Order: sequence, then C-alpha cells, then structure tokens
Amino acid sequence: MPESTHSQPGTRTTTDLHARVYDGVLDMMPSEENPTPLVRLNALTPPGSTLYAKLEWMNPFGSVKDRAAWAMIRDLESRGELGDAKPGRGIVEPTSGNTGFSLAAIASVRGYPARAVMPSKVPTEKRALIRMAGADVDISSDAMCPLPGSEDGTIGLARTYARAQSNKYVMPNQYENQINARAHEETTGPEIWRQTQGKVSHVFVSLGTCGTVTGISRYLKSKNANVKIIAVQPSPGHDVPGLRNVSELDVSKLYDPSLIDEILQIDFNLAYTNALSLLRREGLRAGPSSGLIFEGARIISARDGVPMGVMIFCDDIFKYVSTMIKHLPELGGSDAEGGS
Amino acid sequence: MTYAHPESLVSAEWLKSNLTNPSIRIIEVDVDPKQYAAGHIPGAIGLDWAKDLQDPVRRDIPNGDQLATLLSNRGVGNEHTIVLYGDSANWFAAYAFWVLKLYGHRDVRLLNGGRAHWLNDSSLPLTPDVVNHPPTTYRPTQPDETLRARVSEVLVSASGAARVASGGAKILQLVDVRSPDEFSGKIIAPPGMNETAQRAGHIPGAVNVPWAQATNADGTFKSVDELRTLYGGKGLTPGAPTVAYCRIGERSSHTWFVLKYLLGFDNVRNYDGSWTEYGNLIGAPIEKNV
Repeated sequence: MPESTHSQPGTRTTTDLHARVYDGVLDMMPSEENPTPLVRLNALTPPGSTLYAKLEWMNPFGSVKDRAAWAMIRDLESRGELGDAKPGRGIVEPTSGNTGFSLAAIASVRGYPARAVMPSKVPTEKRALIRMAGADVDISSDAMCPLPGSEDGTIGLARTYARAQSNKYVMPNQYENQINARAHEETTGPEIWRQTQGKVSHVFVSLGTCGTVTGISRYLKSKNANVKIIAVQPSPGHDVPGLRNVSELDVSKLYDPSLIDEILQIDFNLAYTNALSLLRREGLRAGPSSGLIFEGARIISARDGVPMGVMIFCDDIFKYVSTMIKHLPELGGSDAEGGS
Repeated sequence: MTYAHPESLVSAEWLKSNLTNPSIRIIEVDVDPKQYAAGHIPGAIGLDWAKDLQDPVRRDIPNGDQLATLLSNRGVGNEHTIVLYGDSANWFAAYAFWVLKLYGHRDVRLLNGGRAHWLNDSSLPLTPDVVNHPPTTYRPTQPDETLRARVSEVLVSASGAARVASGGAKILQLVDVRSPDEFSGKIIAPPGMNETAQRAGHIPGAVNVPWAQATNADGTFKSVDELRTLYGGKGLTPGAPTVAYCRIGERSSHTWFVLKYLLGFDNVRNYDGSWTEYGNLIGAPIEKNV
C-alpha cells in the first residue's frame, strides 16, 4: 500500500512510506514496501550464526495479528459480507488476545461493531484492552473437562452469534480462514525475502492458528526450497499466551506439517526468562512467545549453524507484565504493601 | 442392537421436523447460559441450571413447588413431550432430564449430540428470538427417590469396600465419571471451578469411567455395543444397584442417562451431592492413587 488514494476535505498529505507519513493508521499496515523492522541480535547469538528478529510489535496495533485481521476484514468487505452491502453488520470472533485487539481496533476505524468471545482464563488486562478498542466482550466458561473437537466454549459461542444473528455478525474465523495464511504469504514472506536479499536460510516461528507458519513457509519455499522452517512449541502444561502445543492444534485448520521442517519442544519457563534476556541484553522488548522462539533459534544455531536466521517476534512484553511477575516473582520487587 | 429406551433420544432431523409441533416443548440448559442468549433452536425455552434448577438457598434440587412455578410460567405442561439439549454434549440437559424424571414427567427426551451437533449443521435454524408459551398449571409428582443416591447410602457402601477387597459382595457399583486426575486425587477439581472440596481422591470401591468415553467426538452417544463394552469392561453389570457421581452431579447425570436409558440398567441412581459433598465430610473414607 505505497500510496493512499483516500480523499477527505482539509489540508493533508498522501502516504509517503519513505518519510513515514501516513494518510491514516491503516496505511501503516505492513507490506513489502513497508515492512516491519528486521533487527540483528548482537549479544545473544551463538558464534558463527546470524539471527535477526522481525519486530511484529511495530505493526499499528502491536502484534503480528494485525496482518491476518486486516486481510480477513478486507476480504469480507470485498465479498460484500461487511460494509455498505450489509449495513449495521459487525464482526464476532473467538480470541484470547492479539487477534481480538487487532480486529476490534480495525473494526472501530472502519466503523463496524465488534464482539470478542474470550475464555475465562484470559487475564483482566487483555479483556480491558479489547474493550478499550471498542469491542463488546463475552467471557465464556472454559470447558471443565473438554470434549475433544467439541464446539463449546468460545468457538461455539462466537459461531452461535454468527449463525443466529447473521444480520449483526460475521465471523472472520482465524482458525479456519485461509486468508489468515495468505496474509503472510503475501506480506511477511515477501518482506523477509526482500529484507534478507534472498539470503534467508532459517525462519523460526511459534504455532497458534498456524497462519503465520503456513503463509511464510509457502512463500519462502517457493523462492528457495532449502529454506528451513523451524517451529517451536511450549512443553505440555504451559501457559504461554497465544501459543499451542502440537497436541492442542486440532482447533486449527491451517496447520500443515508438510510445510514445517522441524518442531522443537521447549521448556515453557524459558519463554519468560529469555524474554527478560532479550530486553536486558539486546534491548528488544519481546514478549514470552518470542522468548520461546529465540530458544529454538539458539538451539539450531548451536547444533547446525544458521547463516541467516529470521525469528518472528509476535508482540512485545508490555501486555504481559502480570504474566512475567507470576513466573519471575522477583520482578514484583519487595515494595508491595504488607498483607495480613 | 438398539438402545434399551431409544424413545428417550431424538435426532436433529426429527427435531427439525417437529419444531412447530404444539405437543413438544424444547428446553436448552447450558453450562454457560450465554450460549442460549446468543442463539438457540427456534421455540426453545432457556433454563439456567444455577438459578432455575437449584434451590436458591439450600444446596438441593428445586422442590416441587419451585419446579411447578418454573415450568408453569414457561408454558410447560405435564402433557408435553420435553426435548432437552445443551452445551458440553448435554451435561446440564441430562441433569435437567434427571430432575424432570425425579418429579415424574412422563415424556422427556435428549437431543443426541446436544447444541454443538445442531450448531455445526448450517441447514439447521438458530434464532436469538425468545418465544413465550402460554402459561400452564404444572403438577409435579412426589420426588422419586429411587433415582437419587444420598450420602448415607454411599457411605455405607464406601465403608464396606474393605470387606469387598477380602471377597465380600459389593453393596453398590459406584461409577466415578470425573477425569482421571480428579479420580486419582492429583487434583481436587478442574482448574477455575467455584465448587470444590477439601480433599481429593475418590469414594472407596468406585471405578473410573470418564463421562466423555460414552460419546463420539461430535457429542452423540456411542453405539449400544460400544457402551456395553465400555461399562462391562469396567465390571459393571446391569442388574446390580449402581450409583454415578462426579463433582456437582451434572456429568454424572449424563452417565446416569447412558446407563439407565441406553443400556437398560434397572437400578441406577445419580448421586448429585457428588464429590463436593463427599470430599468435604469429616471422617469419610477416601481412596487416593497419588
């Protein structure tokens, strides 16, 4: 999106990516011409390897999910499912955080109502963030002993809104919508190829909806079949927000193991300790999922050597303060008020 | 082979063709009542298990007067065929089934597969519109206590478990339908639950058959042969006095339905006090495997 053609009254400039002047917040959405930054790690990379972090928190609403959210909304608009063809209709989506915030913010900018259905285990701060962006929030009970493959809880509730109140809601459905993966095939993949001048040898990603890994892998392997796609998964019992262990991936229709060269299982505690190291040693305010991805890159660098590795750092640490304190209580300090 | 009481189960197709049948009342009961509010089967009445199907003060099922008021106001008569469905593969729908049978409702049925099965078939209608049926005068019978197990009976069986171990006869077949971690005592209750107990473990002599083992992945019930193999494989026989329990009595209602109406166990009761009653008792014997 190099130039905007929007026209509104008053004095204004058109979007100029070189000057970083944008005609509106949605013109900031990433593309080959307007990529998120790639920053080299200088202190933590094992000798002999080169690792870059792709800073997805530089997206307008703070996470990699902006890409899928924007692509899904544009797709719904182009198919007449949202916009003038369906006046008053908004979106509903089951989400545990970043996608909900991206969708809610984009919906607000575009003038659509939004409703996010979140599991009860999601911390209050994330619920509040989505409300701040203008969405209604439903908290759905987590299944007490879930039935595999069942459509209860958040997905069932969101699907119910979309089916029973289709005049009011359409569900982008990040878990099944191929546009989610295509967003990365059309933006993240080409950005990495161009930013590394085609030298990328490894990409390190995490697994959630699997849109990121599937889209990036499709594009980069079409350019160079030897690019290695390495996915990390947290060890079982984890509480790393937004990530899934392979055993939890049945919810996603975008997971395609043939596009992944290797899946590393990482002790989930390293998500938190590595996030701290990334901030303190590299100055990168990366969130817990990035801590896990970095560990995967570190392991492969030490084992095989990585000529040009790119790590997808999905979001930043600011929204995980309470999660970080839970795992690293010393961060809370000893300055708390005395209890009873 | 077919189920022992196939008339107790209806398919989505059957219900779709009976949506406007005046002799039927459809009732949705969910773990999460927001599901009904967002959308439900056209004409369905929504009941909230915590507000409508519990006594508001004591820990108990509603008494006869409370149930009569509820059903009369919602337009359910004694003559109606009641079709129940809900989320979590009919947990609380099965609990409502049990309460209605306890109070003598003649014709109660479950929608096979529950709400998720209906939701996933886009040819089946859903609506947020609430229908108000004309009020009735509902008259429940005296509660049929042969369907309900009390803690005193369970305790007698539990303290006899040691005798069973040395070759004596089992007093009750106790079926613990909770998850393996709750049964073993690794956890007291699933994370985040409000209703819990002081102690973890299970009632001595109980066998663990998690409720979901009776269902297919889409929430519908397994075939009678599969169910017979499942429960028979755990040593449960249809003729012996049987009690199902869980944490608060809803998952065990699901298994109670399976044993009584699908497999034809003729003496099976639901222990609605379940682990939140038993696991709080001073001095009650407990088995723990961790």
